[in-house]
Amino acid sequence: MGIIDNNLSLRDRNRMLVGIWEDEDKLVEATSELVHAGVKIQDVYTPYPVHGLDRIMGVRRSWLSIVAFMCGATGFSLAFWMIYYMYVQDWPLDVGNKPVRFSPSWVPVLFEATVLCTAFGMGFFFFLRNRMIWGIKPELLDDRQTDDRMVIAVETGEGVDEKKVLQIMKDHGAVELRERIGGVQTTI
Amino acid sequence: MIHDSLIRERLVTGGKTASDVTRDIARPILNKPSTAWKVGFTLSVIFLGIFVVSLFWTLWTGIGTWNINKSVMWGWDITNFVFWVGIGHAGTLISAILLLFRQKWRMSINRSAEAMTIFAVICAAMFPVFHMGRVWVGYWALPLPNAFGSLWVNFNSPLLWDVFAISTYFSVSLLFWYIGLIPDIATIRDKVKTKAAQYWYRFFSMGWTGSTRTWARYELISLILAGLSTPLVLSVHTIVSTDFATSVIPGWHTTIFPPYFVAGAIFSGFGMVATLLVVARKVMNYENYITIGHLEAMCKIIMLTGTLVGIAYLTEFFIAQYSGVEYEQYAFLNRASGPYWWAYWSMMFCNLVSPQVFWFKWARTTPWFIFIMSIVVNVGMWFERFVIIVTSLHRDYLPSSWVMYAGSLTEIGLFLGTFGIFFTCFFLFAKFLPVINMSEIKTILRNRE
Repeated sequence: MGIIDNNLSLRDRNRMLVGIWEDEDKLVEATSELVHAGVKIQDVYTPYPVHGLDRIMGVRRSWLSIVAFMCGATGFSLAFWMIYYMYVQDWPLDVGNKPVRFSPSWVPVLFEATVLCTAFGMGFFFFLRNRMIWGIKPELLDDRQTDDRMVIAVETGEGVDEKKVLQIMKDHGAVELRERIGGVQTTI
Repeated sequence: MIHDSLIRERLVTGGKTASDVTRDIARPILNKPSTAWKVGFTLSVIFLGIFVVSLFWTLWTGIGTWNINKSVMWGWDITNFVFWVGIGHAGTLISAILLLFRQKWRMSINRSAEAMTIFAVICAAMFPVFHMGRVWVGYWALPLPNAFGSLWVNFNSPLLWDVFAISTYFSVSLLFWYIGLIPDIATIRDKVKTKAAQYWYRFFSMGWTGSTRTWARYELISLILAGLSTPLVLSVHTIVSTDFATSVIPGWHTTIFPPYFVAGAIFSGFGMVATLLVVARKVMNYENYITIGHLEAMCKIIMLTGTLVGIAYLTEFFIAQYSGVEYEQYAFLNRASGPYWWAYWSMMFCNLVSPQVFWFKWARTTPWFIFIMSIVVNVGMWFERFVIIVTSLHRDYLPSSWVMYAGSLTEIGLFLGTFGIFFTCFFLFAKFLPVINMSEIKTILRNRE
């Protein structure tokens, strides 16, 4: 598994079934039903975070917290090395005979550097993993999916019972069903 | 299961749906600016002009245009610095600490409070930077090898800690704010009509689609950033307080300073949030989102932190007398009864006495009264910093160094001018970005328990 999450890209998807919802609870039911029926869901798009949806879809917990820890450890080490080099090794600075070696006065700078590296390191990997960069074109399935509509996208192919998928979507409150072939959508 | 809570009031009133939220909150961005916005923005730009003129005068003539002198070497500048940094803290408190405590009422106000944090830190940074005098060598404060040998910065100095703390605070707050904005920028992107707007909102939305996989990581990064920002915000004002507490000046050399400064920062920050939001909810028609319940919650925090600060004032006064150190005793008696008694008692009245009105429900639920009180809080907190800095410095150890200090016209202009920076930024923010976090608000439209 690479760092960039390729599941997010719709560019290479040939044919997809797309269902549109307006009710969050029905969307959750439909997702759960589809997963139980063994259908592989490409993604679910919502205008706000719907809690529990990721677990239903089987999205694994992100490694982001471990990445954050590693970035923090790196920041701490770099800051420690910086202070040690500048303040102990290269030019010990005697001001009022205060200690230069490992004194608690190092703590603020070490702390701030740790926080800075954690936040920006984590932010960097967050954007990388989610294929987010300034100026990239969004791949939207519905122009109201960032407003009030929710979308389930299912990739078709061998072993996918399309009729069953559409029936589940219909039964669980989809307001619209569409077929997407090569980036063009048509209502079913 | 979903049902309406019987005991909790709704956080968003008016029976709003998700599309109502988008429409209401995107309205100022999609429509032409209102007259109120134009008037406010023009006024802010005028104040910004005052800042530019005062700053030009300072740089052209020198720091001599300020009235600071050999004894009172920190005057309005550092007072204003601490004042603005303090104001910034409420934004982080609302967005980070209240997120960790799962306080959902923060969702209507966190966006504007975080914006306030960033603008306030920009205003704050102006003062120490230009107080350097030769601002073109300001990079000497960074740990870089200097031109005259390998002399580095002093890691034992709280002023250096401040450089690290404020810059980290600013950049992490900006990141936190921006990540929070991305889903809402995407919403605006899909609504705007003009080509230029589409380009810019698309540029900054980073291709956001609202994928569940992305949302899961987004929620995690928000939580970790909140976890990081919480100790960060406490560290920033702690370090600002050590600028004073590590010195040997009577009235400054106390261990109570860090908690007392942090409480004061949150107090003043909520004062400013209340000032902004009482007006914004009325002018922008956000009464259903920023309800009386939100204002009441803020007033309770103002009362709590005001009382904490008040207890700190009394504690430091008592400890100074109890310590037996005559310099400390004198410093505090001089604050209350010396030539700056009016500043001390203004501070006591504004910060300790006046917030006690919030014990009464009427006071907590009447917007015009909250607005007046929020101004009182801001005035009081400015006086607090003035009292700490000027009254301690104007009586030096040697009576021959005793002086009086009052801000010069340039110093007053710089201070008023930072309000220009602050409000210009805020008006631009209110015009181009959603003032309320739409994607979070949409999760609490129904009371879920």
